Amino acid sequence: MIRFAKNVFMRNFMAFIFLFCSIFLSAQNDTVKIAANLTPEQMAQNDYNTGLNYLNNNNAIMAVQMFSQALTNLPNFDKAYYNRSLAYIKLNNYNDALKDINQCITLKPSDGAYFTKSLIFLYQNKKDSQEVALNKALSINPGNAEANYYFGMIHFNTQDYDKAIQYYQKAIQSKPDYAYAYNDLASCYMMKNNIDEAIKNYKEAINYNPNHPFLFNNLGSAYRQKKEYGKAIEAYTKATLLDENYFIAYINMGATKIEKGDFASAKSDFEAVIKKDAQNSAAYNGLSAVYIKQKDYQQAKSMASKAIMLDANNGQAYYNRAIARQLLREEDEACSDWKRALELGISPAKNFISSDCGN
Amino acid sequence: MIMKKISTLILILFIGVLTAQNVEFEKKNFPGRKDELKEALANIKQGNEIFEQGENFYRDALPLYLKAQDFNPNNAWLNFRIGICYLNSFDKKKAFDYIQKAFLLNPQVDPKIRYYTGRVYHLNSEWDKAISEYKMYQSQLKSSQKEEMKDVTKKIDECNNGKVLSQTPIRVWVDNLGPEVNSPYHEYSPVITADESVLMFTSRRPGGVGNKMDEIKNEYFEDIWVSYKSGKRYTQAVDLGPPVNTENHDAAVCLSPDGSKLITYQGASNGGDLFISYLVGKQWSKPENLGKAINTKYHESSASFSYDGKILYFVSDRDGGLGGHDIYYSEINEKGKFEKAVNLGPTINTEYDDEAVYMMPDGKTMYFCSKGHNTIGGYDVFKTTLENGQWTKPENIGIPINTPDDDAFFALAGNGRHAYYSSAALKGYGGMDLYKITILGPEKQPLLNTQDQLIAMAAKPVNNLKTEQAVEPTKPKMTLLKGIVYDAKTNAPLEAILNLIDNEKNIILASFKSNSATGKYLVTLPSGKNYGIAVQREGYLFHSENFILPADADYQEITKDIPLKKIEIGNAIVLKNIFFDFDKATLRPESYNELDRLLKLLTENPSIKVELSAHTDSKGSDEYNMKLSQNRAQSVVTYLISKGIPADRMIAKGYGETQPIDTNDTEEGRQNNRRVEFKIISIK
Repeated sequence: MIRFAKNVFMRNFMAFIFLFCSIFLSAQNDTVKIAANLTPEQMAQNDYNTGLNYLNNNNAIMAVQMFSQALTNLPNFDKAYYNRSLAYIKLNNYNDALKDINQCITLKPSDGAYFTKSLIFLYQNKKDSQEVALNKALSINPGNAEANYYFGMIHFNTQDYDKAIQYYQKAIQSKPDYAYAYNDLASCYMMKNNIDEAIKNYKEAINYNPNHPFLFNNLGSAYRQKKEYGKAIEAYTKATLLDENYFIAYINMGATKIEKGDFASAKSDFEAVIKKDAQNSAAYNGLSAVYIKQKDYQQAKSMASKAIMLDANNGQAYYNRAIARQLLREEDEACSDWKRALELGISPAKNFISSDCGN
Repeated sequence: MIMKKISTLILILFIGVLTAQNVEFEKKNFPGRKDELKEALANIKQGNEIFEQGENFYRDALPLYLKAQDFNPNNAWLNFRIGICYLNSFDKKKAFDYIQKAFLLNPQVDPKIRYYTGRVYHLNSEWDKAISEYKMYQSQLKSSQKEEMKDVTKKIDECNNGKVLSQTPIRVWVDNLGPEVNSPYHEYSPVITADESVLMFTSRRPGGVGNKMDEIKNEYFEDIWVSYKSGKRYTQAVDLGPPVNTENHDAAVCLSPDGSKLITYQGASNGGDLFISYLVGKQWSKPENLGKAINTKYHESSASFSYDGKILYFVSDRDGGLGGHDIYYSEINEKGKFEKAVNLGPTINTEYDDEAVYMMPDGKTMYFCSKGHNTIGGYDVFKTTLENGQWTKPENIGIPINTPDDDAFFALAGNGRHAYYSSAALKGYGGMDLYKITILGPEKQPLLNTQDQLIAMAAKPVNNLKTEQAVEPTKPKMTLLKGIVYDAKTNAPLEAILNLIDNEKNIILASFKSNSATGKYLVTLPSGKNYGIAVQREGYLFHSENFILPADADYQEITKDIPLKKIEIGNAIVLKNIFFDFDKATLRPESYNELDRLLKLLTENPSIKVELSAHTDSKGSDEYNMKLSQNRAQSVVTYLISKGIPADRMIAKGYGETQPIDTNDTEEGRQNNRRVEFKIISIK
């Protein structure tokens, strides 16, 4: 039912990294003091603090400069290497980031440093090295929640959901309010088609973080899977209330209503998205699906065409337009659309190319 | 209570008023219109004379009755009579208004008025109304009217079947084949080649051989007509002409998948018999009677060969059946004679007519039409499959293909997506027409761009592609192999024998011939076998092909033109049905058919000396491959020596991987490179 795209968008973990760094650093900042007559060590500490300030204010270039200055004065300053590594990550300079984190580890190995190293490997798409670094982090601190969480992700991506569950559960054990871990754990259960357990864990995630619309969206999808359409719609609605521009929830809600047979209301959901975002291809595709169900194939074709015009890579829209075209007796055109949908990764189109196209 | 009485009174008065509207053909009702009345009465009288000749003549009486109707549209009897005529015409639906009006004018116009009102509702698929009318009629029957009771009870059952099947109509397009094929007269019994390129059918239109009327049926004699596929349409149909068509009834019964054999029905022969004609070049041979095992003094009307041509399924109303026409089968023995016919039994045959048998080229699916089983009226098309030697319970293939009127002669194309049949109920060009069915399969569900963020740390949500349930393709699991056999040097088309071999059982499944004029051939191969195909012609080296089709291999069409090489020095062939154990030189038993063919060639051509060479792919070392190929070539030679071919007529040669004929980068290419070849090196 649910297909997980393997490419998790790695570069967007920055927020998490800096959140993690802040925690790591805040425990140490109180030891850094400024005196009138500055020793090289004190100067290094001053530069370090300034660099940290730049880093927290998203000025990675200046942060690198200040951490480098600090290291000139204090070459074995492990925290400066650590934070300069983070700044390099922010600048997508993974090679220098790796050098710095290795230096930090040489000076003072820690689970946090190894975890950061694992993230660099993640960004470099070096999965084996990532796992080695995560294992190192866990060998220092088996309860490192983030390391366990990321191990969970690795196994999720390889569709080894049982192992992923074990790691997510360890992460939760170390950090009982870890909402993201609950979400991912729930998603593992979704993939295993254990919907009740998924719902339970999505609800836990919401309990610890009730402000993330995607958690409600996922809960809605779990209910939809169970065909508990009322509860699904309720969850999607909450997602839209948290963020009125969270179009994904509107689209999912419309899809749920189509499954429920409430076509008019589904239409309203898609139209609501279009009202806010006239360029939303998915919403037009949703309308095409409604019209197909209502057997208005001319309108279905028109809406799918609009969706394709807005997003030429919307494979689902090609697929739907093919359905409409076939029933409008435009069989050759329908087959062309199914072929295009297949090129765009919509594998169900293959069945129809095989069964409905040809002489 | 009072209200009920008042209602009844009103109803009686209402009926009375309507009854009063019935206008008899009497002078007092038409003052001053004496001559017109006289003419109307004369038309009725003349119409009655024709009507009394029987139901085949009702439609000829219609114009006369309709003239009288123009003069007096409010006579219950005449309306009823016109309704009956229409029910026996090419335009049955017109009966509806007349029957209904007759009832309104006089509910007692005829004892069967309720029955016929039921009939018109039935034909209109108004199931509940039809049942209600039939039941009213049923309640009026006396216990002695057993035939009528049986008939109306069956009609009620048919309506109930219709109610059930109309809840789940099948997704098809039913398209009239158009004026190129259909005419204002009857067209039925379409037969097609597996690739739909040739369509033959029976028509009762004028313009056939003899162009004569069947005076009993009051229609033209049946003739076979032919049309060819051109793009998405069929060409203007032409009469197949003599010798297939005669001046009497000639009907299309069965066309072999390759279009080279045609079974016909001849009405003039012994109560109606089955014949067979062969396409020789561009000419059809004079039809030959299928013989006494098939034909009797009774009516043999339709037939279909099994895919390998070894069993004939046919229809007869001979004694000993289960009622009406039944379906029988007869196996063809090794001498090519039909064995004693066997009734398919009560799973398939009913007490009613079971007709129009059609055996799919997949070898296990049968379509036929029947007035029994759960028909919704008249003949309906049914499907049954052979599972573990038993025919499954026939399944009504459903609405809208089946209608309350006659629907028959279903023929499915090899691709399983198209079918052809004849129907009386649908609006066409007149009489029964031919229709093309496009099978759409289950309803296709639209896809939405739904998304979930399954991994919280992923900033972008994950597409939640809702995949549709797999569509069970309607395509049969078989391969349709077609092409042209031609002379490798001159490119001239050749007539050749194609033997279809089951390599595992080492038996010839069937033999076919390519067309002498065009060289065309078409063979259907049901999935689940290792097939060898040997193409042979005197004076030529044979050509072999191998197709291993797993049981789950879907329908596919393969076009393979086959060049035949003359027996001349230097000519070589690849022996595609010689198999060895993996990495060994031991011949596998599946090879014996091919080896025996080779043996026959060498025996029949004692003057030729040949080289038998073996080749490998590039896997393995050069030295190993050279040795393996030499041993394999020697194995073939040793086999032939053991069968009596002198050793000095053969040279065994291993070439290893030195002479590839395809790439070694793909499995298919490597498979082509692993081969045994046969080359003529001298002719004394």
